[in-house]
Amino acid sequence: MPNVICFNNVTFSYPDEEQPILKNLSLSIRRGERVVITGPSGCGKTTLLYLCNRLFPDNCDGILTGSLELFGKDSFSYIPGEINHRIATVFQDPDAQFCMQTVEEELAFTLENLHLPREEMEIRIFEVLHLTGLSEFRHAIIQKLSGGQKQRIATACALIMEPEVLLLDEPIAHLDPYTAKKYVEWLDQLQIKRKITIIAIEHRLDLWGDFFERNIQLNKTEDTTPLQKRNTSIQENASFLANSISAKPFLQEVSFTLNRGEITVLAGPNGSGKSTLLKALCQLIPLNGTVQPERLGYVPQSPDFLFLTKSVHEEVAFGGGNDVDKMLTRLKLITIADDHPFAVSHGQKRRVAIAAMLSDGRDVIVMDEPTSGQDAAALSELFQLIDERSRAGTTFLIVTHDMEFAYCIADSILLLNNGRLTGKFPAADVWRNENLQLDHHLLPPKGLMSREACFT
Amino acid sequence: MKHALHKMNPSLKFLLLTVCMITMAFFFDPWTPLLFCIGILVLQILFSRINWKKWLLFMIPFFVTAFGYFWSTIVFAEDQSGPVIWSFWVLNVTETQLHYALSLSFRILAFSSLSLLFAFTTNPNTFIMSLMQQLKLSPKIAYGVMVGYQFLPVLKDEFIHIQQAHRLRGATPEKNALQRLLGVRRILIPMLAGAVRKAESAAFAMEARGFTGERRTSYFQVITVSKIDGVCAALFLIVLLLSCTNRLWIS
Repeated sequence: MPNVICFNNVTFSYPDEEQPILKNLSLSIRRGERVVITGPSGCGKTTLLYLCNRLFPDNCDGILTGSLELFGKDSFSYIPGEINHRIATVFQDPDAQFCMQTVEEELAFTLENLHLPREEMEIRIFEVLHLTGLSEFRHAIIQKLSGGQKQRIATACALIMEPEVLLLDEPIAHLDPYTAKKYVEWLDQLQIKRKITIIAIEHRLDLWGDFFERNIQLNKTEDTTPLQKRNTSIQENASFLANSISAKPFLQEVSFTLNRGEITVLAGPNGSGKSTLLKALCQLIPLNGTVQPERLGYVPQSPDFLFLTKSVHEEVAFGGGNDVDKMLTRLKLITIADDHPFAVSHGQKRRVAIAAMLSDGRDVIVMDEPTSGQDAAALSELFQLIDERSRAGTTFLIVTHDMEFAYCIADSILLLNNGRLTGKFPAADVWRNENLQLDHHLLPPKGLMSREACFT
Repeated sequence: MKHALHKMNPSLKFLLLTVCMITMAFFFDPWTPLLFCIGILVLQILFSRINWKKWLLFMIPFFVTAFGYFWSTIVFAEDQSGPVIWSFWVLNVTETQLHYALSLSFRILAFSSLSLLFAFTTNPNTFIMSLMQQLKLSPKIAYGVMVGYQFLPVLKDEFIHIQQAHRLRGATPEKNALQRLLGVRRILIPMLAGAVRKAESAAFAMEARGFTGERRTSYFQVITVSKIDGVCAALFLIVLLLSCTNRLWIS
């Protein structure tokens, strides 16, 4: 099979940074391969992807040495836009990759870029929607769809160009496990039908099963021990009371209590109202009902929103906490302590936000998807930190789609479906009950499965 | 015909309204803009389906401005020649003054009703599409504007979320109004930083889909100029002509 992408001794550096982000990189990808690129955050995975579709170096004035061949020709010999018809990309952020209002218009936008005649557009739109099973969304308004649906539409927009190579930047980072699994199966079928080459960036490989044929590790990741199931640190007395909370647009009456030192995972399908519930608990949106205590620590999905100061150090110290340096070291933030909080990577921002809340000494902390987009090392660090704090008596309520993480950390699980609380269950009960999992778009975690295999 | 103004080609509508406005600018008597304003309203009543309550709400600031012009011209006008037609307290209102005052305020009403007609009967997306197809606007600008338009509601939501998150962190709002205004920058900076990042990823996404900014050879949503546009254009021109020639038919 011929090579579609071939990096030959490529070194790439951003204009304002001294160290090159990619150094003497050589790799080749053959037609029809399914390749995953892994590595710790900030090691240049996205840069590599952007070099493949020629967004870089033109858009960032970066310096590229070595040779990069696409389809056997030097990448610089293509005119702008030419390569994008053959190498399509699905980006990470479901909110910032559309420019039209409806799905149909968005697909048509892509086809207009290809200068197709109008009759052909009609046919291709019909075909791609049929192929991807999205026909019912043809006239839907994109901004009103859920994250999972948006990601599928982004994929449809890439496929409608009939590309030879599909680049995916953490496509399932925002999806619930069940939807993610469906997405992977769907992609598998598409790959078989269309024979496209797939190159993906991914942190969470477990959901992909044996989808990928080859794993390219960009930087040797430090060996991290896999997460171990923690022993509970739950205490007798309650530390948090939520009494018949309801909020617009569709959150129905919710009541539950959390104990001191308890770690609870809030789970449910995409768009079931998890973020809304968290915001209501923190009184960020108008709510009916009462919560106690009123002062909660909150780490939002976009951590930028919390930042008030000019450096990471000041940010963590803002609430007047002590041991700021210790906190910075533990969360691997000491090297960026003087950087502006907006200027660090996404994973690092979330860590800054978590550190700020923890050093603020808030007794109950709610987190909105702290695990998405984190590499193994950061995840295990986060795990240890939450574990440690909960032993010190802090109560945690965490929204996460990462079932391994939930399995290892949760004492109990709150299940939410369609704005309605199914109930609060001890974690073990949920992992045992497959129907309950399926109803809430969860999947059994690997840790549990391997343990069961040991027993048999 | 009841939706004729909504169905009209947006570019043509835009050009017609521009012509109307420029023509109006050359008439300094009060009656031309008044008649024109009435004509526009009649057109709107007959050929469009809009929310009149909302229309009135949007007109309020224009009514206030129009009255402001009227009053200040009456009180402060320099040209006080002509016979006095009304006097009270220390004010003597002359015919010239009243003439100027009325013409200024009617002019404001004419321009604002014209603008609102356009705003209320035009879909922004269709307008941009039509600008691109009929008036050869560069796709770079056109799609840029459209993406910006998509971002507006997102930015509004983010402003609220950031405000809430800051309150949660214990950043209490300042009591002094000036300091509070300065404090808004703390919200605006993350919002703008986010907006720049969003704009960048949107630009990347567009480029990754093969958008280069060059002219398109065919469009999916074709915006045409049809018979209905001819009829509407004729109606606008009749209203314009009738109001401009009012001296001939109002004795």
